[in-house]
Amino acid sequence: MSGVAVAGGRTAWRGRLGTEAQPAGRRLDARRALQLGLAASWLLDALLQYQSFMYGKGFTQMIGGTGAGNPSVIARPITWNATLVSHHQVLANTVFATVQLLLGAGIAFRPTLRVALAASIAWALGVWWFGEGLGGVLSGAASPFNGAPGAVLIYALLAVLLWPADREMAAPFTAARAVGAHVARALWLVLWLSLAYFALTPANRAPQSLNGMIASMESGQPGWLSAIDRGAATLVANQGLAASIVLAIALVVIAVGVYLPPSAAKVTLVLAIVVALVIWVVGEALGAILTGGGTDPNSGPLLVLLALAYWPITAVTAPAPSASAGGKAA
Amino acid sequence: MTPAWILDIFAGLMLVVAAVSAARLVAARPWQRGSLLIDTDVAHLLMAIAMAGMLASSLGTLSNTGWDVVFALMTAWFAFRVFVDARANGIRALAGGHCAPHLTHSAAMLYMFAAVTARAANGSGMSGMGGPSASAMEALRYPTLAFAFALILIGYSIRDIDQLSGRRYSSAPARVPLARVAVAIPAMAGAAAATATLPGPRATELAGGNGIPAGSATVEVAGSGSGSGGSAVGGILLSPAVTVGCRITMGVTMALMLLLII
Repeated sequence: MSGVAVAGGRTAWRGRLGTEAQPAGRRLDARRALQLGLAASWLLDALLQYQSFMYGKGFTQMIGGTGAGNPSVIARPITWNATLVSHHQVLANTVFATVQLLLGAGIAFRPTLRVALAASIAWALGVWWFGEGLGGVLSGAASPFNGAPGAVLIYALLAVLLWPADREMAAPFTAARAVGAHVARALWLVLWLSLAYFALTPANRAPQSLNGMIASMESGQPGWLSAIDRGAATLVANQGLAASIVLAIALVVIAVGVYLPPSAAKVTLVLAIVVALVIWVVGEALGAILTGGGTDPNSGPLLVLLALAYWPITAVTAPAPSASAGGKAA
Repeated sequence: MTPAWILDIFAGLMLVVAAVSAARLVAARPWQRGSLLIDTDVAHLLMAIAMAGMLASSLGTLSNTGWDVVFALMTAWFAFRVFVDARANGIRALAGGHCAPHLTHSAAMLYMFAAVTARAANGSGMSGMGGPSASAMEALRYPTLAFAFALILIGYSIRDIDQLSGRRYSSAPARVPLARVAVAIPAMAGAAAATATLPGPRATELAGGNGIPAGSATVEVAGSGSGSGGSAVGGILLSPAVTVGCRITMGVTMALMLLLII
């Protein structure tokens, strides 16, 4: 905080500089930084959930539509939920938004970190089923370019991997601290191999499949994003099979990358970040946020966050000081 | 359409922020000789009033042009402060300095008033985002910029919540060290000298560890601070935690408004 003081007939600078200044030499723990990234994602989701579109019929239709193609045991609760939301739209949507607001704030607020992370896992799994129809995994609609296996599932995965506990004192990467390197690598492998599988499903390798998917995102976007989508759609027109194979190969390389030596793993993680950004911009059109109808930024930024959690660390990770996260490691 | 009562709640929060900021200004006693006029509190006060006016249709404030001028000046002021801060403390001031969030807030407000074209005939304020014809009333230019501002504001808000809970910002009254501590900052606006009130340990920290460049002006840390003579309530009111709390509330609300007008 600072200000200008007029004293003694002259203008002088005054500043209570210390009240807000950054303490020297203090660095943010990598896991805490990633937790804050997750918190920011929840907060963004919450604010998007307060948008006008979410209080209209479009939102309930979107929820109800996720049940299509799913087994009835999955689809029926989705339909029930969509009906319930449509009957109490204002209340339900406000609760959804506020819960996400509390999750974001709770993760950022150190004393409530564990509670908020645990709640976020439960919430994310609920939304994955009732709001995203399990990401289209069982309906055959899942594609790496439309957020498979469900963006909200990655929130839950991140919450697990960034849990404030230290199973391995000398973790090779941040995600291994809470669950151990073997489990963390296995989770990464399953996620990215599943993406590779979805890239090669018949629906996604059809000649015009990718073209149609990208072209459908163009509507309502600002000019620069429309232009990117148009160009990308033209590039993959009638090239669905070739594009799917190239994408699947890249995804498999990324999947096995965490088992490679650190220097090679870094290369594959950079590839993961690049692929995630391409998916986010081209396939997901930034989660359709710029159209005013996006409920979340979709999977792209979360995949980037996840990749950063697997970035090899050279120094031994020491447990965070007791001041953080309710007296335990953050 | 986002229900008006939700926007009214956020407008109410903004009025609370405005009241707190006004109380902080009064507690700082700017009319007294040698007292402080705190730019961030002035900024919070004005922004909170403007946002409350945008959110609630029943609140009439300044005209759009008036707010454009206010926030253009505010943006220029904080841009200058960030520039000075960056010269003193390096590029990290852009992310870690306390002026950068205020610059973002000011620029976002300027953007909102400049980019959103109110179609209302009266032209007084923005007629409330929750007004009956709000969605049809406003057309946004450069939605990508609105999204970018919202992301930055969310980032700053999350960082502030983390640091507030990490006890970076004390809720104790701002106290002034008895010892006079010399702290160097770059010469600003031709001021020959400046006076700062610093908490003791932080003053030492700043003086000793920030790598402040030579040739800068000297700030004397001395005297009694604005909170030292006041009551406990006044002291808490003037604490950094209250400022940061206001900043978090405003940042989140502003991000919401930017996303609403996309």
